[in-house]
Amino acid sequence: MKMPDALDKVLLDEETIAARVRKLAAQISADYAGIDELVLIGVLKGAFIFLADLARHLTVTHCVDFIALSSYTRSAISRGAVRLIMDTRASVTDRHVLIVEDIVDTGFTLDYLLRNFRARKPASLHTCTLLSKPDRRQVNVPIDYLGFEISDVWVVGYGLDYNDRFRTLPYIAALKQQAHG
Amino acid sequence: MGLRDDFAKILISEPEVQARVAELGEEINATYAPDDRPLLVCVLKGAFMFLADLVRHLDMRHEVDFMEISSYGRGTVSSGVVRILLDLAQNIDGRHVLIVEDIIDSGRTLDYITRNLQTRGPASLRVCTLLSKPSRREIDIPLDFVGFEIPDEFVAGYGLDFAEEYRNLPFIGVLKEQIYGDID
Repeated sequence: MKMPDALDKVLLDEETIAARVRKLAAQISADYAGIDELVLIGVLKGAFIFLADLARHLTVTHCVDFIALSSYTRSAISRGAVRLIMDTRASVTDRHVLIVEDIVDTGFTLDYLLRNFRARKPASLHTCTLLSKPDRRQVNVPIDYLGFEISDVWVVGYGLDYNDRFRTLPYIAALKQQAHG
Repeated sequence: MGLRDDFAKILISEPEVQARVAELGEEINATYAPDDRPLLVCVLKGAFMFLADLVRHLDMRHEVDFMEISSYGRGTVSSGVVRILLDLAQNIDGRHVLIVEDIIDSGRTLDYITRNLQTRGPASLRVCTLLSKPSRREIDIPLDFVGFEIPDEFVAGYGLDFAEEYRNLPFIGVLKEQIYGDID
């Protein structure tokens, strides 16, 4: 498949991502061995491809659930003022929760989710993100399982989009500067 | 993995699933014109794994969106009417829409979803399902892309669950009767 013109270069190719996802799954499987109330919560839309691949490599029993968020305004989301437009199907009280994100940027959204889920009294609460941009962080959030740290460039593919484009590319690529400038 | 022991047999192996998903991707690529920009509508939770693999085989511009639905309860099953827990983020007026499902059984839910989406004025509305159980069909509904036709057996894996388990297995298997038999 030819790389779209709006993309600058591939940052993480399919094999690199797949190998890292397998390692994360092995680590999670080891850490949660013997626990049968693990629930992975995928944050839509961005995390669905990562979650699908991660779950397939887990050897521990678990459930998957999804939440969907929306911002009140575009500027509000950067401060973490997000609206939960779909909550989990099942209660997470007394269950071991692992939030699965595509990317942690400022950290505001994940910080909001952690506070929101902690209030539900889960047995434990941890986080897994494929990507993290530490340079962008504005609030300190704990990341328990991290795929890759990347620099502050706009990335797309493997669940991440630019205005809903490029989300389903099997690799992660940097967008050309002029495409979003 | 212990979960595998809960299966009486493997119906569709992981390589068979993957090969067919790639073929479906090609069929979809060949169906849409380059500027159709179809919106793939994934019905959660069952179809998420299928969707995640399918979209990686598409080479034309497209977008994805999600719907989550829930039944109102036993009394409403025959009408197919379901509660929409999460509606589409996008307006589909004038858009080419492709519904992506894990399995079509009676067809009643799909029939309701297509009628619901049809009222929103899409340019086209097609259906892609990984599995179909034709012997269970109660409503004749056209399926544009079908992964596998399967017999009326209790299947799980590759997104399909039983009591929230087995979704993450990479193959599709028939559960042993003692697994599902004593729960109603």
